[in-house]
Amino acid sequence: MPGLTYDQLQKKAKDLAPEEREILDSPYTISNEAYAALRWVLHDVGGQVDIPAPYLEKGEEPWEMNTYLTCECLGWRGAWNSEERRRRENDLGGTQYFGLPYYARWITVATKSLVDKGYITVDELGAKIDEIRERYEKGKQ
Amino acid sequence: MAKPKFDVGDEVRVRNQTSLFHTRTQKYTRGHVGVVSEHRPEWVIPEDEAFGRVEDGRKEPFYVVRFKQTELWPDYTGFERDTLESEFSERWLEPARKEK
Repeated sequence: MPGLTYDQLQKKAKDLAPEEREILDSPYTISNEAYAALRWVLHDVGGQVDIPAPYLEKGEEPWEMNTYLTCECLGWRGAWNSEERRRRENDLGGTQYFGLPYYARWITVATKSLVDKGYITVDELGAKIDEIRERYEKGKQ
Repeated sequence: MAKPKFDVGDEVRVRNQTSLFHTRTQKYTRGHVGVVSEHRPEWVIPEDEAFGRVEDGRKEPFYVVRFKQTELWPDYTGFERDTLESEFSERWLEPARKEK
């Protein structure tokens, strides 16, 4: 969302964080117990307290299948593997992990992985996104 | 290929070892006892594969372990015979009872 200010973006991310939590701002020290909890990998989702989630039928959308195929092709070509994808999803942190739809997590970490490994640069990618967005906006007029 | 340390039918306990980063060993299984129900092929352990170490990662036998739900969740309210299966690399398992 290019139009949002820093404050608006910050509020947006804060509202998206689903967990109630103590506000921590890089405390000087933490307990061993808190550190063990902070190391808990996000995909390890058994046994937390939660409310019953409604079961909703949802079809797969084209962008989701495109994401899936892109990620699989990156695997076949040796760019990464599924376990690495899962690890990178954990590394997104709780706000993004729980805030993004399932396949949006995939495409986000695929992008980060390609940048990490030097296959693309963030400015190349940003420029391409802007180019397509501009084309898209023109097309709507 | 290494000979699997545990046989199908063996009682095993999931180790409660400290893990720093990525692992596939669920917290809710740690310290609990289950029965080996299947051997899986030897493969790179998730802790290495997750960091792209497929070629030089440490390989181990994998096991499917079957737990009683009542073992995992003390307040489980379902049927007594309900089970849950999960997969572990060999490093995460130890004999359920210490050998004499």
